[in-house]
Amino acid sequence: MGYLGYLRFAMERLASAILTLLGVSILVFTAIHLIPGSYEAVMLGPQAPEAARERLREKYGLDDPLPQQYMRWLLAFLGGDMGIALCRSQQSIGQQACENADQAPIIAEFARRAPATIQLAFMAAAIANLVGIPLGILAGLSAGSRTVRGSSRAISALGMGIPSFVLGTLFVYVFSVHDLGLTVGGYVPLSEDPEANLRAMVLPAITLSIFGTALFARTTRDAVLTVLAEPFIMAAVARGESPRQIVRRHVLRNAAIPVVTVSAVNMGYLLGGAAIAELLFSVPGFGWYVLAAIHKRDYAVVQAGVLVAAVAFVAVNLLADLAYAIIDPRTIRRGRG
Amino acid sequence: MRSLLQIEQITVEYATESGPLRALDGASLNVAAGETVGIVGESGSGKSTLALTIGRILPAYASHVAGDVIFDGYSVFAHSTSEMRSFRRDELGFIFQNPVSALDPTMRVKYQLAHILDVKSSDPSIMSQLDRVGLKDVERVANRFPHELSGGMAQRVVIALAIARGPRLLIADEPTSSLDSTIRDQILELLFALPAQTGATLLLFTHDLRSVAKYCDRVAVMYGGNVIEHGPANKIFSRPVHPYTEALLKAAPGAEEIGGKIEAIPGRPPILRGRSEQCPFAPRCRWVVDICRHQRPVAQTVDGRLVSCHRAEEMASVAPACQIIGANHAS
Repeated sequence: MGYLGYLRFAMERLASAILTLLGVSILVFTAIHLIPGSYEAVMLGPQAPEAARERLREKYGLDDPLPQQYMRWLLAFLGGDMGIALCRSQQSIGQQACENADQAPIIAEFARRAPATIQLAFMAAAIANLVGIPLGILAGLSAGSRTVRGSSRAISALGMGIPSFVLGTLFVYVFSVHDLGLTVGGYVPLSEDPEANLRAMVLPAITLSIFGTALFARTTRDAVLTVLAEPFIMAAVARGESPRQIVRRHVLRNAAIPVVTVSAVNMGYLLGGAAIAELLFSVPGFGWYVLAAIHKRDYAVVQAGVLVAAVAFVAVNLLADLAYAIIDPRTIRRGRG
Repeated sequence: MRSLLQIEQITVEYATESGPLRALDGASLNVAAGETVGIVGESGSGKSTLALTIGRILPAYASHVAGDVIFDGYSVFAHSTSEMRSFRRDELGFIFQNPVSALDPTMRVKYQLAHILDVKSSDPSIMSQLDRVGLKDVERVANRFPHELSGGMAQRVVIALAIARGPRLLIADEPTSSLDSTIRDQILELLFALPAQTGATLLLFTHDLRSVAKYCDRVAVMYGGNVIEHGPANKIFSRPVHPYTEALLKAAPGAEEIGGKIEAIPGRPPILRGRSEQCPFAPRCRWVVDICRHQRPVAQTVDGRLVSCHRAEEMASVAPACQIIGANHAS
């Protein structure tokens, strides 16, 4: 099978990703409509006259059947029109004031916040990959040693067990009290002042990376151990290959699949916006914005936010799927069943 | 003939949760250069352990307790790690049971050969190696991944990897048991053509007595971690001396008369926890006498072969000519 087989495999994966996203969009749309309180009640308040409500319903077609409303929403979404936010989000969640005069298109709000979230996601993912994977390889290759086995298990359990708000709070405390060169809060866009930006982004990135680091370390370790038990490793030993050659030629590539999988899931999760870290370190990102919208019952933003996060998640996983087929050519055949 | 491989009283144990398990209990075997030896026995007789011991590729939970493996005058246990690696690389060729899983699934065939030959993947020597093992359309095979090959093609590739550096000893552990019966003979023909071409020595570890009878010069029968009878194939197949060999030949499919049934050996092979102080076959032997239960038999030469049986002389004089598989052995 050559490039055609690969192309076909890629098309199949793309189709399945689109189906997944359609499913998510239906789910989100339905969920929002299940929430008590109609749109006009939220917009106009409980005391609004019936005529005003009627006008609003008419304007937005709220009396149309739900499937029709769904189609309208989806088509608008695809055209980049995600609707209007009820209020321009303030920098803090507690603030309830919401002036209609400040209404802004949701897509513009998302676009403003995306750079911070994307930068944070890439930094956290980079730290997690660069630390977690080598640790896992090391732990897998020296699994015979009791000390390594014990300590790697303890470290990964700790890393996966510690909630990001605990670690984040700890960082906030330590770095606020002592001047250690990194700032807590004080986000500046990368384009304005790269140095100040990095200073502010390192702590939230580390906070977010801990879980991924532990996850990658454990996944990589298990994958390496699984590969080491494969007959072709024994065959390589029997052919006189050195441990270094065996690791470089056979172990790394064969152990990559599960690592790429968790790496993609982690990246998708990070791109969806890591609300807690953004909140703790005052990074004006996507996750924080959607979280604030939930507090303010700004359902249009929530609806669009969930779908955007889902698109990011599915897209990253699609990329991972396409990568598998390059790493392990058997994937294409398996995918076809 | 000059001896290439001497296995002397080799003893190997596996660490298990219920204590050490002795897989080889003082097995000895002498193999001359250029011979083809079939090593037969039931599962658990120590065949695979013996194969792995020669290359010192036993798993980590196995330990070499005693004895020696001497290849061309040097003990393999005396080699340093790096000496051992070049020994494996240049002198040994292993062929495993399942060819597809013995190949790295993520690497095209040509790269696997290129690594072994230490050449670029475009080197013409790769094609000639594939050609040598009877593969057709070598260009295409070279560019394939292992899962795109049939079992027979994959085993040819594994053989090509094994012989690429011209080893003096080929060790094939059940090389055909995962293949279709139609492919089996082709692979065996290929394997046994190699010693004739290159002068290599071939050890075939198998439970398939027919292929041993058909292709091997000599047979070594293993039981309870020991080689209990070893000699020329035609002699042993036509007239087994050890009661176990006789029972094994009778239990082989194809040995029964038409309409008759296969004579299974009663009882089970022993599980050794330490050195056996009796004949390991004593509990299942129908010729058993007192001494078999108290003393380990010592290998002795009887009727042109080595036999470890207290009653070997007797057995040789009364054993009926066995008209089993070996009857039409032509050598």
